[in-house]
Amino acid sequence: MELIKLDHTLPMAFSGQVQPVSDVWHRELSFRRGEHVLIEAASGTGKTSLCSYVYGYREDYEGTICFDGKDIRRLKTGDWVQLRKRSLSMLFQELRLFPGLTVWENIELKNKLTAYKTHRQVEECLERLGLSDKLRTPVGKISFGQQQRVAFVRAICQPFDFIFLDEPVSHLDDANAEAMAVLLKEEAEARNAGIIVTSIGKQLPLNYSKILHL
Amino acid sequence: MNLLWKLLREHVSVTQLVGFFVANLLGMLIILFGLQFYADILPLFQGKDAFFKREFLIVSKPVSTLGSLLGGKGTFSAREIQGFRDQPFTRQVGTFTSSLYDVSASIGMLGTGMQVGTEMFFESVPDDYIDVNAQAWTYEEGSRTIPIILPRNYLNLYNFGFAQSRNLPKLSEGVLSMIRLEIRLSGGGHVEVYDGRIVGFSNRLNTILVPEAFMNWANHYYAPGKKAEPSRLIVEVNNPADEEIVKYIQARGYEVEGNTLDAGKTVWFLQILVGIVLFIGIVITFLSFYILILSIFLLLQKNTKKMQTLLLIGYSPVQVALPYQVLAVGLNLGVTGIACVLLYGLRRMYLNNLQTLFPSLEGSSVQTVLAVAGFLFLFVSIINIGIIHYKLRQIWNGK
Repeated sequence: MELIKLDHTLPMAFSGQVQPVSDVWHRELSFRRGEHVLIEAASGTGKTSLCSYVYGYREDYEGTICFDGKDIRRLKTGDWVQLRKRSLSMLFQELRLFPGLTVWENIELKNKLTAYKTHRQVEECLERLGLSDKLRTPVGKISFGQQQRVAFVRAICQPFDFIFLDEPVSHLDDANAEAMAVLLKEEAEARNAGIIVTSIGKQLPLNYSKILHL
Repeated sequence: MNLLWKLLREHVSVTQLVGFFVANLLGMLIILFGLQFYADILPLFQGKDAFFKREFLIVSKPVSTLGSLLGGKGTFSAREIQGFRDQPFTRQVGTFTSSLYDVSASIGMLGTGMQVGTEMFFESVPDDYIDVNAQAWTYEEGSRTIPIILPRNYLNLYNFGFAQSRNLPKLSEGVLSMIRLEIRLSGGGHVEVYDGRIVGFSNRLNTILVPEAFMNWANHYYAPGKKAEPSRLIVEVNNPADEEIVKYIQARGYEVEGNTLDAGKTVWFLQILVGIVLFIGIVITFLSFYILILSIFLLLQKNTKKMQTLLLIGYSPVQVALPYQVLAVGLNLGVTGIACVLLYGLRRMYLNNLQTLFPSLEGSSVQTVLAVAGFLFLFVSIINIGIIHYKLRQIWNGK
């Protein structure tokens, strides 16, 4: 997938309201592979909505969103399953980890599906993010900041053309944010992927090619 | 799959599943047992060499006090006979024709010069219904000899009752067939004497029989203008155990000689019993099936968020549904298998007991019941799979 295009997309909840000027809503906007985009926004302006629309689990928007020219409303279940395995990756704001499973199991659940990284590579990633001593700990027992990093590692255990990170560093210190940024950059470059990051304050330190205000 | 199962089996309630398992096992076993037992013992009531075999029914109208006083005839009209012929259980219907003239028989006691005589009667039925293998069972017009068949009961009555108590000699069938009866027929202005020869004894027909050809001629000759109306019918049926016969006969208030219809009644009760048993089995199975569906729904409901996440990280609905479908089908398979094993054990027990009573009983094949078990397994499993699939679609669309 080369191009994600938003054409006058607007959450239905905002429909009919007087909108403050936005770089995203109700405009023509494209995300391309290789781009690093930062979407800055205040709370409640629809960051997470944007992620849900693009990731195909909500459809309550007006306008259209196209992947390589194809309206995503027309995609079938099987298409989405393939997209989520091969082309799109998402670091959810609410992380969506399984608290009853260990750190390792949470990542393995995804990595087994895609068979993308070797055990060694996963361990390396966790090590670089300071989680190597937490492999066997249930995710419910570690801090939210640590969980963010686990969810991040899970998100990169797959091929992707675009990766969306919804407030990835909200609970990370600068050193960990930096480590995550470096790893993300490597991973994205290896795949020539586009990075779209949202933020309400603290930013993932990257060289952004585009900064949009929602 | 292992990791997925580890994740999804949280909230699996063992109690609920055990409840389902036991209830479903019970229901399944009752259904299969009912069917197998029915199939096994039905041959006792049916078929050529059936234990309760009676191919003929002798049907009459009841003789009531009021009917006697008012001179009710108690005979069958042509319409009533045709009604019998039209029934699906009937093979053929014959009528008993009574003699419309006076009959008296006498026997000469050898050496004494004494004659013992008695008033009597004749009846006839179509030759097809005669259960005596008698070559002499013919009458040609002009012949002075009449072949006669007596009920074996009469002979038994004499031999085991009368002769025994009076120290008289017992008479064999052979001796009796050598006796010449002097038969005097009178009516319509004619009186003639014939030779009566006993040619056989009947178990089936409880009357004094003469060949139908003779009866027709004699009725015409001795009682011209009178019409013989049958008061008894002999009905050959396909299957005396057919409960339709009982219903038909009871609905019209007819009487059947002996207890020949007991097999029919028994089968009818048996069918009702089996029906009740099957109904109970089906209800239990249905309820247990419902428990399983509820358990699965509850489980899916409790795990909805997890399944949503799995779908979001790239699992397909089919993959997420699979562990639950395997669980449901596995339980069903277990239930079916154990039910079949238990059925096998139970069947051996009751077959052993039944075979001491009815050595001819072989037991019918188990294939039908196994097919039913297979069908139930498939039916329940397919519905389970469908429902789980449907629930997953709902979760997917719930987005």
